[in-house]
Amino acid sequence: MTSTFLQHELKAFWRSRNTGKNIAVKIIMGVLILILILYVLAAGFFLDKILAAIFPKQDLIISFCGIILIYFLFDLISRIQLQELPTLKVQPYLQLPVKRNSLVQYLALTSLISAFNLFPFLLFVPFIIKVIAANSGDVVALAFVVSVFGITIFNNYLALYIKRKANLNGWVFLIATGGLILICLGDFLWHFYSIRNISYMFFGHLINEPELSVLPFLLAVVMYYLNFLYLRQNLYLEELSSKKALHKSSTEYPFLNRFGLVGDLAANEIKLIFRNKRSNSALKMSTIFLFYGLLFYTKHQLVHSDFTAVFTGMFMTGIFIINYGQFMFSWQASHFDGLLVSKLNFPDFLKAKYLLFTIITTIAFLLTTPYAYFGWRILLIHFVMYLWNLGVNTTIILYFANRNSRRIDLSKAAAFNWEGVGASQWLVSLPLLLTPFVIYLPLNLLGHPDLGLTLLAATGLIFIFTRDFWIKKLEADFYKHKYTIAEGFRNK
Amino acid sequence: MIVINNLKKVYNGVTVVNIPQLEIKKGESVGLVGNNGAGKTTLFRMILDLIRPESGEVLSNGEVVAGHEAWKNYTASYLDEGFLIDYLTPEEYFYFIGGLHQQNQAQVNDFLATLSDFFNGEILKRGKYIRDLSKGNQSKVGIASCLLQNPELLMLDEPFANIDPSTQIRLKNMLKDLNKRQGVTTLISSHDLSHITDVCERILLMEKGKIIKDIATNSSTLAELENYFAVGQSTAPALPTIDEEENH
Repeated sequence: MTSTFLQHELKAFWRSRNTGKNIAVKIIMGVLILILILYVLAAGFFLDKILAAIFPKQDLIISFCGIILIYFLFDLISRIQLQELPTLKVQPYLQLPVKRNSLVQYLALTSLISAFNLFPFLLFVPFIIKVIAANSGDVVALAFVVSVFGITIFNNYLALYIKRKANLNGWVFLIATGGLILICLGDFLWHFYSIRNISYMFFGHLINEPELSVLPFLLAVVMYYLNFLYLRQNLYLEELSSKKALHKSSTEYPFLNRFGLVGDLAANEIKLIFRNKRSNSALKMSTIFLFYGLLFYTKHQLVHSDFTAVFTGMFMTGIFIINYGQFMFSWQASHFDGLLVSKLNFPDFLKAKYLLFTIITTIAFLLTTPYAYFGWRILLIHFVMYLWNLGVNTTIILYFANRNSRRIDLSKAAAFNWEGVGASQWLVSLPLLLTPFVIYLPLNLLGHPDLGLTLLAATGLIFIFTRDFWIKKLEADFYKHKYTIAEGFRNK
Repeated sequence: MIVINNLKKVYNGVTVVNIPQLEIKKGESVGLVGNNGAGKTTLFRMILDLIRPESGEVLSNGEVVAGHEAWKNYTASYLDEGFLIDYLTPEEYFYFIGGLHQQNQAQVNDFLATLSDFFNGEILKRGKYIRDLSKGNQSKVGIASCLLQNPELLMLDEPFANIDPSTQIRLKNMLKDLNKRQGVTTLISSHDLSHITDVCERILLMEKGKIIKDIATNSSTLAELENYFAVGQSTAPALPTIDEEENH
């Protein structure tokens, strides 16, 4: 039975509209995943060097034993946030003469197919082979592998158990996350205890008593069984699905009322962003990008370079335009037909997009003002890039939106979600990333950085003031692609 | 109101709609029937300028719909859930649609109050987004949003599907009333032959993209349609019995 399920799953993957069509996306996707795996593998291979660099005074094996539990703690936190529940796919089988146990077994097994379960091995096994096997022999090395395996499986099922519980009761999620954060704070901030010591307490003993590796293995078995029981008892659609029956209330944004219909449309889109999983995570990622500057400005040789500020300023103020805008108008794919037949003219639709970009980009700019700590010039350059983003990048992204006809399911999370990704997303990144530098870089190299900045700001302002012209152009362009877009959005 | 000339749509070499000539006059109530794949929804979509026909044109009030937008001012339509903004609450959606037609929230509320029977307490103030409603209730939201627009032309694709019997009967009365009293031109497709013959004065029967019958509804229409659809069943009631609906 499990093999039949697997076959169906593979068919679902290969026949889904998003996997089948675009070879370029598949290749790039494959390369990216490969790069990620290689990175982790490389980290694993050089773990001895890395550990020696971080803890120079400590014995390698002691520091290795110390970090394992820390890794798994963060592993658990990120699993709870990111790992997907293998759920609704079982729906078509529930009413068929299929044994409950085989369904549950299948659900439990497929949940193991996750990058989270691969990383610990890539990270730890090279070290175990290189150092532990060499120092303490094969039996101890095997004991380490078994322990890592056990904790991985334990984490996997614990995370899923918490997520399933959280589906029924939102508080579980908050309590679990809060508890884990408290555990972290207890060590790293308050120093009540040291997770590294606890970790060493177990893995250090493992070297002398390899049979202790049975313990994590047992934990994994118990957790699996708990999950299995829980699923078998709760194999009902309403409990499997991730819908939460919270009371939803109507919201208004009085600030937007003054913009009339355009404001209504922008308000709708803000609701779209907040009320759907995928768009919500796009927004959250944009907020994380606000810390991007810390990466560069804290480096002494970079903080005085205008070039760095142009680059980071564009990203920090404009990341929402890039991150959210690249999928326009796919966000509205599910009701695009309704928009097309409604009494709504396209210029208003576009003006609402500009309004939305303006609001969020302005907020992003205001949030980056603390970077003035690194020098007022940085703030000035951020403002120049803010104008550039509002003027030029918005228009570029809307031009490419007219070429995007891929449907997006808003209810799926954004991490590793390739739905709606097509050639237009790769193409749009080129003009977005390159044009400001085409203007700025030559002038900077010729020794006129201020002129370059002025030119960037002026171009941004010109685009802002000629927006009506661009809206007309975009409208004419949209009518050429309208049927293709609507057709693509209708394809589930 | 609607004139169709030489309208043709081809998908992968198969002609799914082929209508040389069709005119729907102002104030008519037209029902569209036909088996799955007959081309009803495709025809609707072409009238609403959602898909590009291979050839031919649709005129609404004398103006070609493709490339023009004047028809949107007086046309309200609900084909499927793809017309609803599903992450809004029903109230928010109605306010939005009302706003498009220059109605403020108070006006929308007044209008919605008249639909309280139709909603049967399942739509408003339920603390749900449209996507959390059942299919039937989503359909109610779609139909109500059409009525909210005070249209001159109303187009509904299978409005009787998914909704409960009471609402079906209420909807029938509403549609009749709109057509008779307010002169709204209605174009409705349905698989429910008795409902459609009850509501519509003119029935278009589609098969493989063509309109093969264009009949003014009378007491024998239902039997005629049942006869047509009862393929291979020799014992279909051929006698023009008393109209079931009117006998209620």
